[in-house]
Amino acid sequence: MSYDVQIDRLGRVAVFDLKGTADAVGAWVKDILPAFPVRPNTRTEKNGVALCYIGRNHWLLRAARDAEERLEQRLKPTNCPADISIVRVSDTLTFFHVTGPDAADVMAIACPLDLHETVFPPDAVTYSEFFGLKALVTRCEGGFECAVEQSFGDMVADYLARATA
Amino acid sequence: MMLIPCPFCGKRNESEFIFGGPVGADRPDPNAASDAEWVEYLTVVPNPLGPVQERWWHARGCGEWVTIWRDTRTHDIVRAPDGPK
Repeated sequence: MSYDVQIDRLGRVAVFDLKGTADAVGAWVKDILPAFPVRPNTRTEKNGVALCYIGRNHWLLRAARDAEERLEQRLKPTNCPADISIVRVSDTLTFFHVTGPDAADVMAIACPLDLHETVFPPDAVTYSEFFGLKALVTRCEGGFECAVEQSFGDMVADYLARATA
Repeated sequence: MMLIPCPFCGKRNESEFIFGGPVGADRPDPNAASDAEWVEYLTVVPNPLGPVQERWWHARGCGEWVTIWRDTRTHDIVRAPDGPK
């Protein structure tokens, strides 16, 4: 069975891993961050920068590739206080877009989450599984976005090609 | 399939978790415990027919450690039984 979907493997995306309490992280970098998400596994966005609340005292800051150096200069990871952690993890993740009318059907093969819009709204973002691998799952325009550890990128591309053939 | 309640994420598929083993007894005072009690603490793993308290790590999720009671007969996540734990 073939599916009406489009699979796109994205180029590098700027991603920073932030750990610490919202107060502590906000005090260090509040001028460039969107408002901290209140509900677990949701994200907020401001000026093309998305802040994803993916664990207790754990956030991912995501932006376009060309914003990486600017963000690094503003976040100052090497100078941050001892009670927070800021690490650039852009090169550890490979992003895929699964879009199209059958995107949800393909996601149902790969991911155990209930991705219906009533359960997984447009601002949802969470770590889950994707073909058995730990993956960051969120929505994108017309479908879903998944990010897996970059060394599994080719394997996941192959899995997606076989699942949708 | 079990749906394990994560305090951060809500109910999630068991495949997102890694089993962390049953919750053992509290460490007895080595100066007060008998040899038999000490050996039991070190070597006997809880394995009841019924509710057992377990630790699970949400490794492919938010990273939380979760403590649940699971009924070994049905795999249902159950409330903590009454009485001493």
